[in-house]
Amino acid sequence: MRILNKNHSALLRAPTSKVSVIIPVMNERKTLAAVLREVKKLKPLEIIVVANGSTDGSAAIASKSGAKVLTFDQPLGHDVGRSIGARHAAGEILLFLDGDMVIPAAQLRPYLRAVERGVDVALNRYNGKLSRSTVHPVVLAKHALNTVLGRPDLKGASLTTIPHAMSRQAAQTIGFEQLAVPPKAQAIAIQHRLKVKAVHLIQVGKLNPVRRREKGADPLGNLIVGDHLEAINWYAKATNDRGLRSDLSRNRHIVR
Amino acid sequence: MQQRARATASGLKPSSSRAAVQAHGAGRFAGGSAAPRSKARRNTRTAAHKAGARPGQAGRVKRAKGAGPALSSGRRAAAAKRGKRPAVLLRRRRVKRAAAMPRISSAAYQAGYRAGREDGLRVSLEHEPFRIKALNRHWMARTQAQQRGGLSWRQFNEASKGYVHGYFRARKQVPPPWVLLPTDKSVAAIVSVRNEEKTIGSVVRQLNRLPLDEVYVIVNGSTDRSFQQVRERSQACVLSFPEALGHDVGRAMGAKLAQADILLFLDGDIVIPAEALIPFIGAVDRGADLALNDIGPYLNPFAKQDQVTHMKQFLNASLGRHDLGANSLTAVPHALSRKAVETLGLPNLMVPPKAQALAVHRGLRITAPGSVNVIRGNKRRRENTGRNNQVADLIIGDHVEALKLAGDLAGERLAFVDALRQREQTGGEG
Repeated sequence: MRILNKNHSALLRAPTSKVSVIIPVMNERKTLAAVLREVKKLKPLEIIVVANGSTDGSAAIASKSGAKVLTFDQPLGHDVGRSIGARHAAGEILLFLDGDMVIPAAQLRPYLRAVERGVDVALNRYNGKLSRSTVHPVVLAKHALNTVLGRPDLKGASLTTIPHAMSRQAAQTIGFEQLAVPPKAQAIAIQHRLKVKAVHLIQVGKLNPVRRREKGADPLGNLIVGDHLEAINWYAKATNDRGLRSDLSRNRHIVR
Repeated sequence: MQQRARATASGLKPSSSRAAVQAHGAGRFAGGSAAPRSKARRNTRTAAHKAGARPGQAGRVKRAKGAGPALSSGRRAAAAKRGKRPAVLLRRRRVKRAAAMPRISSAAYQAGYRAGREDGLRVSLEHEPFRIKALNRHWMARTQAQQRGGLSWRQFNEASKGYVHGYFRARKQVPPPWVLLPTDKSVAAIVSVRNEEKTIGSVVRQLNRLPLDEVYVIVNGSTDRSFQQVRERSQACVLSFPEALGHDVGRAMGAKLAQADILLFLDGDIVIPAEALIPFIGAVDRGADLALNDIGPYLNPFAKQDQVTHMKQFLNASLGRHDLGANSLTAVPHALSRKAVETLGLPNLMVPPKAQALAVHRGLRITAPGSVNVIRGNKRRRENTGRNNQVADLIIGDHVEALKLAGDLAGERLAFVDALRQREQTGGEG
């Protein structure tokens, strides 16, 4: 009953016209038009496409559809586009997407609604494939980071995963440049006591194109695991060596 | 009374372990005449074998169902539930089972038995001050001569059991429940105890079955009879501290005292059959520096695992040892080489995940040669269960400390460098 009321009031609130949608793009011509089409249904204030290292005309598709396009000849590397896009955003709510994943507008609204209702960082409630006893290192890293940050309730929810939304205020608190390393941004957000919440589930695992994973080597996986290590290290420096965890009655000086 | 004495003579103390109960039962079944006596003796042996067959499974994915103390305690519970009379029924059933057990007939056991018999006819242990160690030397001479390197630990245990049986049978003595080691090196066991009077006696009894050169029992913060339980049963060096030393500090203390080449670490709350400890000692003998407990077979699906298990796996993955799964120096049993103790240092041994991170960094050899289900056996205390699980908090903290140390040593991203991002483009200094 209460939930219904909440949703109702959220719908009654001002339309989501103060939204900046940020979409990093690198050679994603095939999906970009569809992504933009869905995003437009949200009637955002602006769509910022960060085209980097694109040679397939992705940027042209974006500008034709009225998006604000930031073009970089060289690939910026993973998630750097998000950081640049966020810095240029004028809206009160920042919604982060990828150019290669088409998500229906209706599925994006819960994130915007959550931020409107006071959540600072609204994450995808996606945890990864967990049915086995051992999981992909990236899934493992996400769980471990949330555990270290004292937020095991977030499970595998991560800023690495799209879609997610945050208030501009939150992005400023975290630091726009930090958004380039999403797990670190997550650590900073939680450390600054921002309200981080996993609000809505989109099974990005199924939408994720297979081409992202090359056989054998997994450079993207390694990058993301490294990001999480960077985040944990940042957290240990921001707090203490034990991440503020108890040492119970451990008498470390009795033997040396 | 006569039966009781016999069971004790064979080294099976009548008070607890299942083997002892079966020996009792067998004795009862056998009655008092001469012919059944030999039968009783055989049953004593089979019972001991059954208790021993369990650890032989170590390293395998699946363990024999119904083996081990858990079942025995389950039966006890069932008996308690049923009341007095059915307890008699229960005992009868046990007798039947013990009598129906097949004789040990594996090739390894038989080969060991033959070797033991030969040695039994040849050499005597009477003048030896440390008989089990002396027998272990003869046994090692045998295994080295016959180059039995290819044996699984289960086969090794069967062979060594056969050897002990063969030796004592040749000397016309009742074989003690000894478990021989796959090494000539000196071995120390280190047991941390805190208010574990119910289990520590059995832990010590299992250690007494092994030819250990040193045993250190560190009793700390105990207000029960833990100390007396150890003292009554063991020649071990028992250290007693009225105050709690804190987690894993007892291990470091034991490591400081021990002079042995191989150090085996145990906890007072988990009874592990001596046979199950063999793989850890053997792995260090064969060149490993850290021999961890392989808990892989007992892991739940990821979503049901606790935070600590996630952290253990993440630490290993971060260190480039995804293959180690959730195996951790935090868990017992594990064994360390002397080199490991010296390389890691005592302050790090007090924070096991930190020691593990350092071990990987320094290139120590880490394996997980055996599986002991410690998840089931772990004593439930107020501080290690429920929502405010302090021990979990501590272990997570240990892992943060370990990751921090690894980051300080190898860069905050360890081997997972970021060569792709144009970070200067973000406009920050990051």
